[in-house]
Amino acid sequence: MIAPYVVAAVAVFAVARALIERNTGRKLPYINVMSFAVAGALVMLLDHPLSLIAAAAYFVGSTLESNAIASTYAGEKDGGGGRG
Amino acid sequence: MIEPTLILGLLILVIGVLSVAFVRPKTYIARLINLEIPAWGLLLIMLTYGEALALLTFIAVTAIGTFVIVRLMEWRDASC
Amino acid sequence: MNLILQAAFGLIALAGAVSAALIRDSYGKLISLGILVGGVMPFIVDRGYLDVAIAVSLIAPIATIFVLMVVRRAEV
Repeated sequence: MIAPYVVAAVAVFAVARALIERNTGRKLPYINVMSFAVAGALVMLLDHPLSLIAAAAYFVGSTLESNAIASTYAGEKDGGGGRG
Repeated sequence: MIEPTLILGLLILVIGVLSVAFVRPKTYIARLINLEIPAWGLLLIMLTYGEALALLTFIAVTAIGTFVIVRLMEWRDASC
Repeated sequence: MNLILQAAFGLIALAGAVSAALIRDSYGKLISLGILVGGVMPFIVDRGYLDVAIAVSLIAPIATIFVLMVVRRAEV
């Protein structure tokens, strides 16, 4: 099966592209690409019903983390900071 | 034959310990963020020995310790 | 998980660890920590600890959000 290798290649490419990028705001879409690829790879690694729940939990968690970083970075860059 | 997980965990543990000891911007925040790198290396090392309850406890205690240090930094001085 | 996939995800984890150690910006450090978690997670699932994987993937963003509170307080 070729699908896990494609997903791993996408993840490696996204990480390389995110580490090359200098601007912090432009790193975040590539982190999203890497987390989608890892969540896809988690399903294909093991044949178990709980594996789907683990992949869904990682998907939700990584999306939440990335959104929290992006929201704080944008709020800090706009100046002021709501609650600071 | 040594397992690849153990080798990767040892490498990440050494990198994390060196980055905590010789932290570049000498602030509390950079040291706190660097302190999470050896935790993941130690998790990979503990994965080799096959104790699921130890792994769960280690993850939970690491998160609680991070929360305690964050509260301490906010209480000590607001500008860190 | 064969050798190619282990090499790929191990490379991702090592790249995340090295870049989190070297980058000076706080947001860059947190992003590199996310890369490190993404590289570690397939090794946990591959050994069969699916409950540990669920717990890790739900607790790791909470720790990041705790650190983000301090980062926002310090930068503003």
